[in-house]
Amino acid sequence: MTEKDFDLSRRSFIDRVLMATAGAGMAAAVPWASAAVGAAPLAKSDRVRLGVIGTGDRGRALIQNIAKTRNCTVAAICDNFELHLAKGRALVDPSTRTFTDHRAMLDAGGLDAVVIATPLDLHKRHSFDAFDAGLHVWCEKAMARTIDDCGAMVKRTQDSGTVLQIGHQRMFKPTYLNAVKRAKEGEIGAITQIRASWHRQSSWRRPVPAGATDRQINWRLYRDSSAGLMTELATHQIQVSNLFFDAVPTRVMGSGSICFWKDGREVYDHVALIYEYAGGRKLIYTSLLNNARYGCEEQIQGSKGTIEPELGRIYQELPPKELALLRMQADVASGHKRAVPIGGATWFAELPVTTPGEPLGWGEYDETMLQFEGFGEAVRTGKPLPGLLSQAYSASVASLLGEQAMDSGQILNWPTSLVAI
Amino acid sequence: MADVVRFASMGTRVELHRFGAGEDDALTAAQRAIEAVDNALTIHRPSATTALNERLMAGQGAGIDDPLLFDALVAIEELQAATLGLFDPAADRRFASAGWSAIAFDRNSARIEASMPVALDFGGFGKGFALDRACAVLRAKGVVSACLSAGESSIAVVGEHPLGGGWPFSIPHPLRPDEILVELELIDESVSISSTVGAGTAAPERAAMIRPIDATIVSAPRCSVAVDRLGAHAEAMSTALLVADEAQAECLLHGDRTRRFLFDFPRGAAIPINQPG
Repeated sequence: MTEKDFDLSRRSFIDRVLMATAGAGMAAAVPWASAAVGAAPLAKSDRVRLGVIGTGDRGRALIQNIAKTRNCTVAAICDNFELHLAKGRALVDPSTRTFTDHRAMLDAGGLDAVVIATPLDLHKRHSFDAFDAGLHVWCEKAMARTIDDCGAMVKRTQDSGTVLQIGHQRMFKPTYLNAVKRAKEGEIGAITQIRASWHRQSSWRRPVPAGATDRQINWRLYRDSSAGLMTELATHQIQVSNLFFDAVPTRVMGSGSICFWKDGREVYDHVALIYEYAGGRKLIYTSLLNNARYGCEEQIQGSKGTIEPELGRIYQELPPKELALLRMQADVASGHKRAVPIGGATWFAELPVTTPGEPLGWGEYDETMLQFEGFGEAVRTGKPLPGLLSQAYSASVASLLGEQAMDSGQILNWPTSLVAI
Repeated sequence: MADVVRFASMGTRVELHRFGAGEDDALTAAQRAIEAVDNALTIHRPSATTALNERLMAGQGAGIDDPLLFDALVAIEELQAATLGLFDPAADRRFASAGWSAIAFDRNSARIEASMPVALDFGGFGKGFALDRACAVLRAKGVVSACLSAGESSIAVVGEHPLGGGWPFSIPHPLRPDEILVELELIDESVSISSTVGAGTAAPERAAMIRPIDATIVSAPRCSVAVDRLGAHAEAMSTALLVADEAQAECLLHGDRTRRFLFDFPRGAAIPINQPG
């Protein structure tokens, strides 16, 4: 793609975000999106200087997205595993400083913020060290390994007057923003249930290269460093659920098991949870690693329709059919004989309706770039993107609360001791 | 006395309404008869038909041990001929040459052979065939007035309406539900409705209508209605009408213009141009 092509694509993407966020109530519902779109482009010498901690697969994807922004630049990278650091080095300008220790990177200075793409259990320490160095933090989801650590990160950013932004790219995706807009406009009626799933056909286990340990590479499979499916996948979709319900859950129940991949892992490979929201609304969530038939999707179910944002489609409920034969029974009982209307629709009771629905919007994948432009603007102005940290904090807490509910077999209420944002 | 059973079978909702006389277990027995047909003829789970199809697709002949499947094949052989070959449960859009003509069914030896890989999909025929079985059970159980529905597009009635005379039914326009295509009165008859348009055509797992001559999908907006003493015959005739060309349709309609109807709708306008004859 040429630079001109990219500019056009970017302009088109931004236009779509603007269109999606222009509806009534959208400014309050997704305030971060329009703020990110308004980020001022900066000259290369003035761009927000980012130090990336962690140049594994995710960290390198982030580096590539940062390179697309018009207000951020990668000024340093860091990884304690040489193979990952070498792969990261290949993506940045040769003059970019590289480190094997994040403390050394922070001490070296020359940064405005850090990007943390390390194992979950390290997020808190790395972000604390960055805050202590006076830097802002963009951190991969989930926030931290425990609910207390999530709160501590929120408290620390508040106390230090820094920006903490968590990576939830769906919050910047035009398809999702358009879905929220259409739901706010009442197109699918009252939303009472969301079914969400992230099903994969994969062990999630990565080959361990020479010089690395299994726990270093496969940290997602071990409890010390991860809550597995809950913090790596569910947190995204719980955040979507909170957004559409415009609330956080009131309580959660669930069941988790190592059902298929009995390979020494410690985290569940199969989870099923119900998150309750005020008024009896529910998120029904499942994630597993041995069947990909239903993939990744959220089904936003309202009284008038359904939205499936990953598929980018909106469906209207079919009007209820007249129960002609029931009417016939009543007619006979009352001595009344009249024609029974039949035909047309084959009557599939209790089976899924597979009407094609309508396209919901747009599906370009530049949202990770946009969230970094939003972060760059937040760092430049010293003002966090409004509403975003609250969304991320709630999603991380919910995912970890779900883990606790499964571990304990108990129904757990939403914590009352969370840090206020 | 009036009672009803509702259940899912043959991929749709089945309702059996009985009025007046008959043994207490009549509806239950009729339900069992429908379920037995479904079990034998379904291709959506292991059945006698899927076992047969596996052999036919492998180029092997097979003996027919299942009595329901045997009876269905006998009926299909007759109906295939009676509909100018247009009702063809072996038609396959993947293979233009596939069809009943590739099959040799010997009812004396209860054996079937095929000259090329074919598979049977009984589709709507199965519903009519099942309703016929259920009607027979109801009559045997002393029922004199009943209405049976398999997904609303397949209806069978036993005897007269409980208030006397025929059972009145109206067939709504598939695209304009406030308009009526035709009104019918049935006594001891079945009606089958087939359509390429309307809400039902978007139903899950619904197979497209295949024209046996060239294995193409019938996409023109069209609706057919057929009434017959037997539901299986009504289903075969409504299917045949739906895939027929003009000359074939005229030939089939000529058989009984008070019991067979074909409606062609212009694309977009959805106005019937062939009123019932």
